[in-house]
Amino acid sequence: MESKDQINIINEAINKAKEEDLKPLGFNFVFWGIFIIVMCLVHLFFTDFIQQTKFSAVIFWIVLPLLGMVYTTKYNIKNRIKRGYETHIGRVIKIIWIVFVFSWILVIIPLSIINNQNPVPDIILLLAVTVTTNGLILKSKSVGAGGVILFLVFYSIEFYPLVNILVYSIIAQIFGLLVPGLVLYFSKNE
Amino acid sequence: MNKDLEKLFFNPVRLKIISFLISVQRSNFKNLSEISGATKGNLSIQLKKLSEAGYIKIIKSFEKNYPKTICSITNKGKKSFELFFKVLQSYNK
Repeated sequence: MESKDQINIINEAINKAKEEDLKPLGFNFVFWGIFIIVMCLVHLFFTDFIQQTKFSAVIFWIVLPLLGMVYTTKYNIKNRIKRGYETHIGRVIKIIWIVFVFSWILVIIPLSIINNQNPVPDIILLLAVTVTTNGLILKSKSVGAGGVILFLVFYSIEFYPLVNILVYSIIAQIFGLLVPGLVLYFSKNE
Repeated sequence: MNKDLEKLFFNPVRLKIISFLISVQRSNFKNLSEISGATKGNLSIQLKKLSEAGYIKIIKSFEKNYPKTICSITNKGKKSFELFFKVLQSYNK
């Protein structure tokens, strides 16, 4: 075998792993975008029911997302097995989201359960950091822009708390997760 | 170039495997079979040779009663591949 043939073999093998399949990540973004928007709408229209006891809203906002996490984790594992391999970028993205989940737990427990404080602004800030990092790693303008919008929503809540915080949250999910998710889902991996 | 290294990467199946594994975090047996175009038997032999040389790490387990083989490249494998690739490039200059 000549050295040129060997280089061709190497190039072909590397090119097969070059493309990062963005569909599963896009699905995750869309799923969480819709999931949180629906939860916000339920909370908005059935406020009395959701906030009937001190901890009912906390349970609503912890139990349902945890179920969502179980579903998306199963989906991601199934997808990885089906694909047969994990890329370096895929692993980095996975680690970032695992850190997000732990940070979410660390934020939500002391704020909402112990301190009885609204954790939404802090979670949006956390989400902004995570989504922006995802955008930079993937070199995706739509995801990066989604992260920037999440930062803007966070600052709007902090400095102009004029509207119901759930409305801010819906805006954050639409532009921070849903739209970038749809772009990722329908993007061509070139 | 080290003759053992040259001999090990001279085989196209082994070269495909190591080239693919250097660009991913890990890969399963089925995928490596598709990438290399080798039969299951041949692939097992080539993986064993790469593993014995310390170039790849093989993790075998069971999932729903089915055997599962996951392979990843080791640091030694990465360094050897880089050296091999540099020498290849120098041949073509």
